[in-house]
Amino acid sequence: MKLEIFENKRVAKDTFSLKIDNPALFDASPGQFFMVKINDFDYPLLRRPFSIADFNDRHIEIIYKVVGEGTKILASKQKGEFLDLLGPLGNGFGDIEKNRRIFLVGGGIGAAPLIYLSNVLENMYGVNYKAYFGFNTKDEVYVDFGKTATMDGSLGYAGNVVDMVEPELDENSLVLACGPTLMLKRLAYVCYQKKCDMKVSLESRMACGIGVCLGCVVETIDKDFKRVCVEGPVFDYREIEWQTL
Amino acid sequence: MANSVNLTVKLGSLIFKNPVLTASGTFGYAAEYKKYMDLNALGGFVVKGLSVKPKKGNKPPRIVETPCGMLNAIGLQNVGIDRFIKEKLPLLEDVDAHIIANIYGTKADEFVELADKLEHIGRVSALEVNVSCPNVSKGGALFGKNPNDVFSLTSSVKKHTSKPVIVKLTPNVDDVAAIATAACDGGADAVSLINTITGMVIDTKTKKPFLANRTGGLSGPAIYPVGVRMVYEVYEKIKVPIIGVGGIYNSDIALQYLMAGAALIEIGTANFTNPNITVEIIKGIKEFLEGENIKSVGDIVGIAHNA
Repeated sequence: MKLEIFENKRVAKDTFSLKIDNPALFDASPGQFFMVKINDFDYPLLRRPFSIADFNDRHIEIIYKVVGEGTKILASKQKGEFLDLLGPLGNGFGDIEKNRRIFLVGGGIGAAPLIYLSNVLENMYGVNYKAYFGFNTKDEVYVDFGKTATMDGSLGYAGNVVDMVEPELDENSLVLACGPTLMLKRLAYVCYQKKCDMKVSLESRMACGIGVCLGCVVETIDKDFKRVCVEGPVFDYREIEWQTL
Repeated sequence: MANSVNLTVKLGSLIFKNPVLTASGTFGYAAEYKKYMDLNALGGFVVKGLSVKPKKGNKPPRIVETPCGMLNAIGLQNVGIDRFIKEKLPLLEDVDAHIIANIYGTKADEFVELADKLEHIGRVSALEVNVSCPNVSKGGALFGKNPNDVFSLTSSVKKHTSKPVIVKLTPNVDDVAAIATAACDGGADAVSLINTITGMVIDTKTKKPFLANRTGGLSGPAIYPVGVRMVYEVYEKIKVPIIGVGGIYNSDIALQYLMAGAALIEIGTANFTNPNITVEIIKGIKEFLEGENIKSVGDIVGIAHNA
C-alpha cells in the first residue's frame, strides 16, 4: 500500500523520524513492524523492516537510523512523496499483566518501538512503568522521557543501560526490551539471574517479512529455528538460545 | 475482445492457464500468500523443497542483500514430506492452480521415496526434482553437475511416478545444455533453469564470510541475463518444454525468457518484494501480446532464435 510522507526529519545523530499518513484501514500494536520499499524500482531490492514508533489517527511514525544504502536513500525522501508499506506484520508485545513492575529497556534505535509501547501502556492500559534508554553519546538521544544512560557519560547515567536498570529488577518485574544484540544478551542474563520475566523484540535481516523466505530465523532453546517475522519479532526471552546470537 | 489472447500452456498431460509459476523456496507452501494475492490467478506454484525428513536448515545469518540481488543459504529448511501432505496441502484444497512439489534428497533412494509418497496425492500435479541446491553439503548440486548422475536420478524418479517430472538445473556448470540433455534422456518431461548462482559476501568488519554457510545462492534481477542466456542455449538442444527462472521481476524479463525458449516461467525473489508481482506479470504478458496482435503465448516461445 502506497502512503504519503507527512514528515521526514532528523531527530538525532544519523536518526530520522518518518511520519506517514495513516489510512485508518488497520490497527497496529506495539512491537509490530512494517516492511518498507525504499524506491519504486529494484534498488535497493529488498524491503526494510521498521518497527512502529507511534501509531495514531493521523500518522504512522517510524524512527530509523541511517546505517546503509537503503536508509540513506530513505533519509532523502521528502514530504509529499509516497512509500510502499507492507504490514503491520509480526507479533507485538501482546497483553501486558497490570500487576507487574514494568520496565521498558531500550538501546539505540531499539528504543523506537518502546515509545509506541509506552503510549499504549499509559493510554490504553493505564499502567505505570519505568523506562530506561541507553545510547552511545548524548547526540544520539531521541527519546524525551524515562532515564537515560550514555556510554561516554555525556548524558545521564554513565555506562551501560543494563547496569543502570539491574538494581531495580526483581521477581515481580516484567521487562519489555528492544536494542542491540549484545545489550539484549546481557539483559537476558540479568533477567535470568533476577528470575524476572522479559519480552524482547529481536532484529534480523529479512527478505520477505511474511514468513516464506526463512532468512530471518533465530535459534530457540529446543534447538529449532523460529522466524523473527512471523513467530516474533517479540519473544519470551526464555525461548531464545542466546549463545547463538 | 476479452480473452482474445490464449495464455494456456501444455506440459505433458497438464494444462496451465497461463505460463506464470512461482519458484520453490520463495513462496512457502503457498497458503502464506493467500492474504496478499489471488492464488487462482497463477498457472501454478512450486512449493518449498521437500525432503523425506523435516530439515532444520542452516544456521543464521542466512541472507544478505547485494546490488539488485540477494545471497541466500537457507539450507532447505522444510517440514518434511509427511507434514506437507498432512498439514500444508489441505490449506490449498480450494485453490484452482497446479501445485508442483519440489523434492530434494541426499541420495537417489530418497528422491524415489518422495516420488512414491506423492504418487497418489492427486492435488500435486507434477514433481520438480531439485538437483541444484547450492546450499546443502550433500546431494543437491552434487547430482546436478554430472550428466550421468542427472540421467540416472531422473530415470529412477520417472519409474516411480506417473506425474510429469521437471528437473531443476544449476547454472554452476560449464555446459548446462549437456546436463539438460541428460535429464531428457532420463525421461524428464521438462527442465527448469536456473537455480541460484553460487556466490560469497565478506563482512569487512569481522573479516569473515557474511553467511554462516560461507557461500550462498545469488538470486534477483542481477542474475536474469545469465538465466536468459542459459534458456536460449538449452532450447536449441532439447525437445521438452523449458521453465525459465532467475531474476524475473517484471513482465519484460518474463517475455525475454519466453522469447529465449521458455514455455513457462517461475517468479522467485520478486515475490519477497511484491507479494502480488506474479499477478502483475501475467497482466503485463497479456497486454504485450494484445499490443503485438499475437494470438497465443506459445507463438513467442523461442522466437528470439529466428533472428
